[in-house]
Amino acid sequence: MVKGDKQSRSAINRRRVLQGLGAAGVVSIAGCLGGSDDDEVSFPLDVRLEVDADNDDRVEWTQVIQQIMEDTGYFDVDIEQHSWDDYSDRVLDEEYQDNGYIAFIGLSGTFNPESFCDALHGTANQGQCCNLNGLGYDELDEMIDEARFGSDVADDPELRAERYDEIWHELADYRGSSLILHTTDEYVRNTDVHGFAPFPFSESTLSYALHSPIDEQVMWLDRSDATPDETDRSDLQEGGTLRFGVPANIASFDPPYSSDTTSTMSQELIFEQLITSDTEGNLQPWLAESYESLDVQDIERDAYEDYMTTASADEEGAIDVDEQVILTHPDDSPVADDEVRVLTPEGASDAVDDGVYGMQWRYHLHEGIEFHDGEELTAENVVLSVERYENSDLSAQTFDSLLHARQVDEYTVDLYAQIPDAEAERELPGIYIHSTEQASLEGGDLDPRQDNEPVGTGPYVFEEFEDEGYFIATKNESYWLEEKGIDALEWFDGPSDFPAGPVIDEVDMDIIPEDSTRSGQLQNDEIDVTYNLVSSTLNDFDSDDDFIVDSIESGGYQYFQYPVNVEPWDDDRLRKAVNHLVPREQIVDEVLDGWGEPAWTMIPELAQGSGTTDYDALESELKPHNEFDTEEAIKLIEEVIDDRGYESDV
Amino acid sequence: MSLRRFILKRLLLTVPILFGVSVITFALVHLTPGDPISQMVAENPNVSQAEEAQLRAQYGLDGTLWEQYATWIGNVLSGDFGDVYGSSQSVAGVLISRLPETIALGLFGWVFALVIAIPTGVYAAINKDKFGDTASRIIALSGISIPNFWLGLMLILVGALWLGWWDVGAPRTAVYHPEMLWFLILPGITVGTAAAASIMRVMRTSMAEELNKEYVVAARAKGLPERKIILKHVLRNSMISVVTLAAMLTASIVAGSVVVETVFNWPGLGRELVQAIHGHEINLIMAITLFTGFFIVLANLLADILYAVLDPRIRYD
Repeated sequence: MVKGDKQSRSAINRRRVLQGLGAAGVVSIAGCLGGSDDDEVSFPLDVRLEVDADNDDRVEWTQVIQQIMEDTGYFDVDIEQHSWDDYSDRVLDEEYQDNGYIAFIGLSGTFNPESFCDALHGTANQGQCCNLNGLGYDELDEMIDEARFGSDVADDPELRAERYDEIWHELADYRGSSLILHTTDEYVRNTDVHGFAPFPFSESTLSYALHSPIDEQVMWLDRSDATPDETDRSDLQEGGTLRFGVPANIASFDPPYSSDTTSTMSQELIFEQLITSDTEGNLQPWLAESYESLDVQDIERDAYEDYMTTASADEEGAIDVDEQVILTHPDDSPVADDEVRVLTPEGASDAVDDGVYGMQWRYHLHEGIEFHDGEELTAENVVLSVERYENSDLSAQTFDSLLHARQVDEYTVDLYAQIPDAEAERELPGIYIHSTEQASLEGGDLDPRQDNEPVGTGPYVFEEFEDEGYFIATKNESYWLEEKGIDALEWFDGPSDFPAGPVIDEVDMDIIPEDSTRSGQLQNDEIDVTYNLVSSTLNDFDSDDDFIVDSIESGGYQYFQYPVNVEPWDDDRLRKAVNHLVPREQIVDEVLDGWGEPAWTMIPELAQGSGTTDYDALESELKPHNEFDTEEAIKLIEEVIDDRGYESDV
Repeated sequence: MSLRRFILKRLLLTVPILFGVSVITFALVHLTPGDPISQMVAENPNVSQAEEAQLRAQYGLDGTLWEQYATWIGNVLSGDFGDVYGSSQSVAGVLISRLPETIALGLFGWVFALVIAIPTGVYAAINKDKFGDTASRIIALSGISIPNFWLGLMLILVGALWLGWWDVGAPRTAVYHPEMLWFLILPGITVGTAAAASIMRVMRTSMAEELNKEYVVAARAKGLPERKIILKHVLRNSMISVVTLAAMLTASIVAGSVVVETVFNWPGLGRELVQAIHGHEINLIMAITLFTGFFIVLANLLADILYAVLDPRIRYD
C-alpha cells in the first residue's frame, strides 16, 4: 500500500493516480465564494486557491498565479495551504466542489490516455480521485468511454486516436481544469554507471535500465573508467555491485498487496509478467513466447446479468460477498440499493463456458522457464496468479477489465475481458506470475518479514532484506532467457551478441528516506544512483563532472481545477481567462529550474501512442489556448462582466 | 518506606501515566484529519465506497473514537499491539527490531554528554569567571541553541564529505560491531550535544555552590590536597542535581533521536515514528509513544534511586 510520506509523492504506481494532495482544516469565510445563489458576484472577485503545503514547488507556482491574477485587478486572491497527508480527506469529498475553491494538485499518468482525461473529468470520479470540482458531463463521459471500450476502437487504433483528439479539443474548450506542467523524473548517478536509461514510470526504471532487450537497453558498471559518458556497448563490463539509493522503505514484496514505487522496483527484479513494454508503451511478449487476440464480441456489461448473484449491500455500500466482485450490474448501486447483482469468479467462469465474454486473448508460454525454486512455469501458474489478485489490494484495478483466466494446455492460457477494451492488450496481462507454492500464500505473507522469501522467474534472486535498511538481490545464475539465448525472443531484432540478461552481479537497494542524506551518500561514493532529489541539489549535481543527471518525462502532471458548479466559474470564458494567466514557461524555468515541461496539451508526449493521431499537430492546435496572454484574459473577463451584468469596481 | 515498596509504588504509578499518554496520543492521532484508509483510497481511484467501508471495518477504524479506543486498549492489554497497515507486520515485531538501534544511539549520546559535560563543568567551576569558564559557557550556550538537525548535517558535511573519515550511511553490520561504533560517533554527538550543554551548566553551578560551603573550607584548613577535596567530596555532592538532570535528559535524547535518526538514516524507533506519522500508522504511533513514555518514567525512577546512593540523607517516603 502506498505510504503517504513525502517521498512517495511522486512514488506512486503507474496505475495509481493521485500524486500529491494536502488537507482539511478550518474553512474560513474570507475568500469563500460560497455555493448558494444568493451571493452577489462582483469584481474584483474573491478567489481562494488551495494547495498542499508539503510540496514547496507547487506552493510557489500557486503564489506566482495568485500574483498574476491580482495584478490584473479583477481578482482578490487568497491561498490556503494544507498538509499533504490529509488533503485527500478534504478534496476527495463530493461536497468539496460546492465550496468554490480552486484546487491545485498533481497526478501521475500511465501509457493509457484515459488516465489524462477520465481521472480529472469523468463524472464517476467526482469526489474521488481526482475529479475534485465536479467537472464533466454525460457527453464527455461517453466520449471517454467510447475511446477505450467497444469493438470499434479495440479494432482500430487510428479511430481511437481520433476520438482522443476530439476529447483533448473538447477539454480545451470546456476548460474545467488547467494543466500547468508535465513532470519529469530526475535520476542522478556517478560516472561508474554506464548505459543507464530510466523508464518513464519510475517503478520500472531499475529493471528496465538493468536489461531490456525491447529498447536494447543494458546497464553496466566500470569502476576504473575515466571516460564517464562512454556508453558504447563494446566496452561493456560484466559483474559488480550496483548501489541504488531509494527514498522509501519496501513496504512489501507481495505484488498484489503493495503499490508504492520502491516495492514495485524490488519486485520487478524478482518477478516477471507475460508481456513487456518499451519506453513508448509498445508491447512485446515476455514470459509468453507469443500472444494473440482470438475473439472479440460486441457486448455490454449487462450481458452478464444471467450469471450474477444477488448480494446485500449496507448503507455505506459494502457488498456482503466473500468472493471477488468482478463487476456490479450497471443498473445497480451499492450505496443506493439494499441488494445488488454482482458477478463473482464462479459466475464469470460460467459465462465464459457459455461463450459470453468481450474479448479472448491467448498467451503461449515459453517452455522450460524455471522459478528460482526450480518449479517449471506452466499455464496453471498464470491462472493461480490471477486468482491471487482476487480481493487483493490491487483487485479493483486488476478486475476493471479482466473477466477470467483459463488454462488451455500446459503452456497455453487464455485471458478474457469483460467487454471489448482497446487497452486490453496492456491491462489484462499486467500481473506478476507466482510459483504454485507462493500463489497459495495468504495476502501480504509473500514477504521476508513473514518468513517467505519471494520466488519468481526474474533475472535476480532475493538474497537479503533488512527492514528499512537495505535489500540485496543477486543475479539469477540460471535465468531462462540466458539459457535460451536472446534469439528466443522472436521479436528481438538487435545484434545477436546483445546480453540475454543483466550483466551486473548484485543490486543493493539502500533505503535512505532523507533527501540530504541520500545526496550526501551519492557524493561520498556510498551509492551509485538515486532519484527524487530537490531541484536545487539537482543543479549542483548537474554542474559537477563526476555526476550525470538524467531527466525523463515521467507521465505525471500538475494542474488545478475550477469549481465549475459555482457561479461565476460556470462561465467557461472566465475559466479560459484564468487559464491565460498561467505563465507555464516561466513556472518551469523559474520555479523548477527547468526540471519539467510546460503543458500545452492534456496528454504528455510519452503517452501519445494511442492518444493522438499527431502529437505535434495537437500541440500546435492547443498551444494558443494555453499561452500566457493577459490582454486576452482581460478581454474575456470584461465579456463575462458585461454579459452577465456583474458589478465591477475595476 | 523501604526501597522495594518505593519502587513498587512508582511502578504502579506508571499505569495511570501511561493511560493518560495513550488517551492523549490516541485522541490527537484521531483528531488529525486523514487516516490510513483515506490514504489508500486517495491513491487508488478504483476503490469503491463499498471496498473502503470494508477496509475500515477490517482495520477497526469504524465506530466512534471511544469504541476504537476501547478496542485498541483491549488488544494492548492482551498483549496485541496490532499490525502495521502498510506492510501487515506486527507492531510489536517492528518495535523489537528497532529498539537496539535506538538504545545504542541513546547510550552513545548519553555517554558523550556525560563525558564532555562533567569534566568541563568541573573545570569551569574551579576556574570560575576566568577565560576557560567564559569560553566553556559560550560553547555550552551554543550547544543548547543549535538545532540538532542542522548540527547533524554539518557533522556529515565536515566529517564525511570533507574529511572523509565517516560514511554518510550506516554500515550493514550488527549494532555492536566496532565499525558501527565508529559510525555512531557523529549521530551520538548530535543527539548528545544539547544534553551535554545543559548538564555542563548545572554541573558548573552546583559545583561552584558546593565549593563555597564550609566543609570545603574545613577540608582546606585540614590541609587536604585540593585534588582530593574536589574529586572525593565536592564532586560527589554536586552530582545529585546532575544525576536528576541526566535522567530527565533521557526524554530530550529520546525526542532528539527522532530528528537525528532521520538525518543519519539510522533505523531506530525515532525514524520509524516519523514514517509512522506520515503514513498515519496509528498502531505504530501509539506503540512507540507508549514505549517511550514508559522508558522515560523508568529513567526518572532510576534517578530517584540513585539519589539515595549519592546522598544517604534522602529517604523514600
